[in-house]
Amino acid sequence: MTAAYQLNNIKVFHQQQCNLDIPQLTIPSDQCIALLGDNGAGKSTLLNLLAYLDMPNEGQLRLMGQTIKSSLSPAQRRTIGYVNQQPFLLAGSVTDNIALALKLQGIAAAQRPSLIREALQHVNLTHLATQTANTLSGGELKRAAIARAIAHEPQILLLDEPFSHLDQSHIQQFEVIIEQLAAQAGKTVIFSTHDRLQGAALANTTINLIKGKVTKSPILNVFHGQLKDKIFDTGKLHIHTTSQHHQASHIAIDPHEIIISTDVLDSSMRNHFSGRLTAISEETGVIHLTIDCKERFYALISPESLYSLNLSIGNTLCLSFKSTAVSLF
Amino acid sequence: MSYFTDSFSAAVDLITALDPELFQIVFNSVSISLIAALIAGVLAIPAGIVMALNRFPGKQLVQHTLNTLMAMPTVLIGLLLYGLFSRLGPLGHLELLYTPTAIIIAEAILIFPIMMNLAIAAVTAADPRLVPTLVSLGAKSASLAFQVAKQTRFIMLAAVITGFGRAIGEVGAAMMLGGNIAGYTRTMTTAIALETSKGEFETGLALGLLLLLIAFLVNFILSWLQREQQ
Repeated sequence: MTAAYQLNNIKVFHQQQCNLDIPQLTIPSDQCIALLGDNGAGKSTLLNLLAYLDMPNEGQLRLMGQTIKSSLSPAQRRTIGYVNQQPFLLAGSVTDNIALALKLQGIAAAQRPSLIREALQHVNLTHLATQTANTLSGGELKRAAIARAIAHEPQILLLDEPFSHLDQSHIQQFEVIIEQLAAQAGKTVIFSTHDRLQGAALANTTINLIKGKVTKSPILNVFHGQLKDKIFDTGKLHIHTTSQHHQASHIAIDPHEIIISTDVLDSSMRNHFSGRLTAISEETGVIHLTIDCKERFYALISPESLYSLNLSIGNTLCLSFKSTAVSLF
Repeated sequence: MSYFTDSFSAAVDLITALDPELFQIVFNSVSISLIAALIAGVLAIPAGIVMALNRFPGKQLVQHTLNTLMAMPTVLIGLLLYGLFSRLGPLGHLELLYTPTAIIIAEAILIFPIMMNLAIAAVTAADPRLVPTLVSLGAKSASLAFQVAKQTRFIMLAAVITGFGRAIGEVGAAMMLGGNIAGYTRTMTTAIALETSKGEFETGLALGLLLLLIAFLVNFILSWLQREQQ
């Protein structure tokens, strides 16, 4: 299967500072992909490149196996739908906005009404079709922007921080919308979020960005410290690793690799810590646990495990993970 | 004091009596300035949008040149065009000197840099998400420029009206190129200059009051457009 994007030696500079440095990255098609990272990690910069709104200062970006030299052809542009972190709706109604997008994409006038209807149904916005853009709430505005981006049925949908500035009920609505869009055959959905647990729960694949660089580590359970004799000292905990990589100043532990128990496990795992359960939350059927073991750890368990362990806030829990689960960078 | 009040009263009488000669001058002035504003607008607004949307070598130089042209004295434009349009000039065969067309050309040249700069400012000051949004929706080159113009249409219209306001108040080039021919190239400003020099203060004052009224209307429309854009 052709990859949605292939990035080779991509570099983006802003005011002589390198904001994005990706030697090699393949983004698969037909998947839901989360770009994870803190503010300023380069998520929006990367999404702008993927949307061909900006060009890299160095390197090559291939879309569906094709190298784009200057700008996208109309057919290539039609393969991409893009929604900004703070979407901008043009003057006029929601329908006017979608109709203009379809017109600009070169969709025949006869096809437009049915595509507008379908797009509005996707985001549950049919009742606001004739409402002017400047009267919409934040959540409605984002849904209208998604409708506008998906109306021409692009193969790739890019969403920059779709959950930011939304209340909990809207976040859940958006998660459902993203899941439904990603479930369609041949669709690739790439969204950015700084909520790593949410991204990990929603996406098939995650791309982790730290200071403009892609890391293999899950950027959850990231700790700063020093490595000495395969033991990483965070200042509060000593964590066993398998690496002699002395240059590393950070480690990350994939939350999927952390085993939760109520008693210390007798196993081959080298890292065992006990701490207090401080938060329990649910995201698309996965339970997120936050455990304070001097350092704050995030772990993922199933609802069945939550039930069988009978967990509640304040419980003392043991968490264990192998030294091979620790990535250094 | 009575000289001034008598003149003022006579000027009001001229206006209320709908003096045909007076309104012929007003009509000439408005039509010449309006045509000049429309011609300059048709050229300057697309040029301004294209310049604002694109990066190219020498853009700074073009911007500096525009700023310089905005401050160019109108008599200098009049002088240059006089040289071009006079019988011995390179465009003398067109016989444009002392015609309304010559004034229209001069006024259009005068207001072109103003309008182009306003168009550039309108695009630059527009929401920074406007252009990336339109590009992501598939707009390219001409369609992008058209959509940007559509989204900033009130400011663009304001640019045309500002140009019109500048053109209607112009006197130097209109005098040099139009020759102030009664019923043909006589505009409000050239007529005011002439009538005042003849001692016909009330006619000059009447035209001045009408010019003030037009300026008021122009500003009223500009304020309304600014409110609409917001």
